Amino acid sequence: MAKLSEYAFVASMLATGLAFVFYLFYAVSGLRAARMQTAGGPGGTTPVGLISGPRTAAIGRYATILTWLATIFLLVSLLFRAIVTGHGPFANMYEFSMAFAFGVLVSYLYFERKYHQRILALIALPVALGMLLYAATIPATIEPLVPALQNNLLLTVHVACAIVAYGSFAIAFAGSYLFLLQTRHALSVLAITFAGVAGALVGAFTGGANADKSAFTYAMIAAIGTLLVMAIVDWITNHGKPAVEPSSGRWGLPKPMVLDEIGYRAVVLGFPFLTLTIILGAVWAETAWGTYWSWDPKETASLVTWLIYGAYLHARVMRGWRGNRAAWLLVIGFLATLLTYFGNLIFGGLHSYSGLG
Amino acid sequence: MTHEVNSRPLPPAASTPAAAASPSTVDRVDGALEWLWHFISSMRTAMVIMLAIALLGVMGAIFVQAPQAVLDDPAAKASWLESVRPKYGGWTNVFDTLGLFQVFNSIVFRILVAALTISLIACSIHRIPGMVHTARNPRIDVGPAFFEHAPQHEAIVVRRSAEETRAVVEGVLKARRYRTLTSDDGTVHIYADRFRYAPFAGLVGHLSLVMILAGAILGGMYGYRDSQFTIAEGQTLPVAAEPGLTIQLLDFTDKYDTTTGAPIDYASQVVLYKNGQEVDRHTVRVNDPLRFNGLTFYQAFFGSAATMSIKDAAGKDLVTSEGVPLAWTTNDEGRHIGSLNIPGTSYVAWVTDTLGTGDTSIAPGQVRVEIYTAGEGTLVDSKVIDQGKPVTIGNLSVTFERASQFTGLNIARDPGVPLIWIGSLLLFGGFVIRFLVPHKRIWGRIVSRPNGGAVVGMATLTHKDVTAGSEFENVVNDIRTALTAPAQA
Repeated sequence: MAKLSEYAFVASMLATGLAFVFYLFYAVSGLRAARMQTAGGPGGTTPVGLISGPRTAAIGRYATILTWLATIFLLVSLLFRAIVTGHGPFANMYEFSMAFAFGVLVSYLYFERKYHQRILALIALPVALGMLLYAATIPATIEPLVPALQNNLLLTVHVACAIVAYGSFAIAFAGSYLFLLQTRHALSVLAITFAGVAGALVGAFTGGANADKSAFTYAMIAAIGTLLVMAIVDWITNHGKPAVEPSSGRWGLPKPMVLDEIGYRAVVLGFPFLTLTIILGAVWAETAWGTYWSWDPKETASLVTWLIYGAYLHARVMRGWRGNRAAWLLVIGFLATLLTYFGNLIFGGLHSYSGLG
Repeated sequence: MTHEVNSRPLPPAASTPAAAASPSTVDRVDGALEWLWHFISSMRTAMVIMLAIALLGVMGAIFVQAPQAVLDDPAAKASWLESVRPKYGGWTNVFDTLGLFQVFNSIVFRILVAALTISLIACSIHRIPGMVHTARNPRIDVGPAFFEHAPQHEAIVVRRSAEETRAVVEGVLKARRYRTLTSDDGTVHIYADRFRYAPFAGLVGHLSLVMILAGAILGGMYGYRDSQFTIAEGQTLPVAAEPGLTIQLLDFTDKYDTTTGAPIDYASQVVLYKNGQEVDRHTVRVNDPLRFNGLTFYQAFFGSAATMSIKDAAGKDLVTSEGVPLAWTTNDEGRHIGSLNIPGTSYVAWVTDTLGTGDTSIAPGQVRVEIYTAGEGTLVDSKVIDQGKPVTIGNLSVTFERASQFTGLNIARDPGVPLIWIGSLLLFGGFVIRFLVPHKRIWGRIVSRPNGGAVVGMATLTHKDVTAGSEFENVVNDIRTALTAPAQA
């Protein structure tokens, strides 16, 4: 059973990678179609701004099927694992990372079905794939639960809620990322990508092997610092300039208006689940640790995440914050989500069971 | 003079010095107050405060936070700083001066939380009248321009009379569970809405945060917490939080996984007595605390203990098989050590544990017992004794019966907890309703045409969802269908 779970996990990882390649082709082919159209090709814009020829659509369909396969494999893997261990597959970073990837895939598929925007996969799938690759670096050994985790109901519900929230926030991130890419913030967005990938690589080489945690910490802090500086520079340089017409997409990407809507819908879905995660965490902490709140780093980080998405929900209806700034909050919010997720590894604290030894 | 835009005369009853001054001062004070109210009740202010707290939170997550007990004691604070110095090096003092090790105790944090609370309450107060008005007395007769410029609007030309049309439109809206309000001033105005009280769920969600905060403050002010309560097997100790309450530890067990050595279970079997009568009995585990009369006993830590018996020179039992928790650690050698007040004497016994195999000064199976006078703390006598044999130390006969264990409990009483849970429930429920159930509003306008028939205008304030068909479209389609159907007999 445990072996089967691992095979399904590998299958899911391969399917996710392959799906991403298909989505890439899909995007490139869409970009070409967009060029042809602006060059004076036949008209006929689709209502959602994505230009799709028959070939593009076929590639997109294959990509979607592969994503479904990846999701099903991952579900199988998680189910087998849950059966073997006898508790929800959320007890250490191996299981939790798989579940995170599962959350991202499921919410991607949900939003793809609802908004027909396959381009979101360009961001969402790498996030899922990154989580799966990260999980692959962690030994999959099954160990008994430490006493603090021996609460099957809360373990399952608390973490399942977190997974739904994180998955939706990944989609909100994908939407805001593609939004900013189109609204003259391309430079900063690329800086973010660079910082993020650099941070992840440094993390993989240092934290992944668990050799030097402080190097990982400083790399993450440096990456986040770079990001913040870039965001502020971008903010100042673009301040006061009129926003790009939100109803027109660039490079065959979805219209910013659509992306904004997707980001909002994703947060509206994720925010209550994050709220529930924090509340259930408090209930559990009150039972196991003796107090409902102890400013444990992971608790604090989740509160920070909650505040940022709360601020976003307000920003979105405020003059001067709608659009770009709100989208930036979604990017920052997802960074906070990752900080929350990896918080126990980076900062230690009461949540410091990780399966990393 | 720029503030004069908002000026209006103060009531004459206002007897502040400003009121006695010239009208321009009054206007200025009035304007300033208005500006202040606008500032604190603005969503922008709330949002900026939220982000500021988030930034502080990031600091609090990145930097190790000193425990509360440490902050209260300068000596403990100094030693705590030394313990983190290897991690932060020369920056330790800088970070400490900046308050980064106690972010959530800092003045800045408290001010921000207070400001957010004030802003939240002000924001709510500011909005309540408008919300009540929207729910209770919505505007029915909106002008014709609205039906041309609203985010979603439709016009339908019908052959029927205005009165007939109105009945059909109202019928469709009612069938869709809308409440309808109408007025007729030559033109028929229709207002229809659903879930008009749903926006108040958002209000409840917001104000529940105040309740949670109140719970936290209540717990901080009137709560009781002893997170360092140690009790050895066989010991019975009073619980300071409640007079007459004593707790006895029957047994402590710790279990480990045989292959990995990972802990599996910590369990303390305890009995509670109130004035000598047993009132409760429970095996306290990490996820299974003992709750009694508002007090909660949590499994927190554990360690080794020594079960001792002590008799005086006359052979009278002073201590009978009582466990001494060796909960302290000596600075020089790192030995576990614990103390016991010997009843009926003015002596304190300090018991020191062995370090294990290879320990030459206190071999395994031995403990060192030091007898001090309670007041001055002068050493009376000290001996290393073997297990099971009575040894005379000072003028007492001391027996080290066996090595045992103690458990560390966290005893807490938090009167704020119910408020926290109720607040959390309202918070979650409020937001879910707020997001899932929008207040749906549709305005209609029916104008008779001079040559018979009528024009129906329909409009709503919500924007169309980018992809999904909107509720408004469905309603309009229903109305269109109903109006084109043959008139009822």
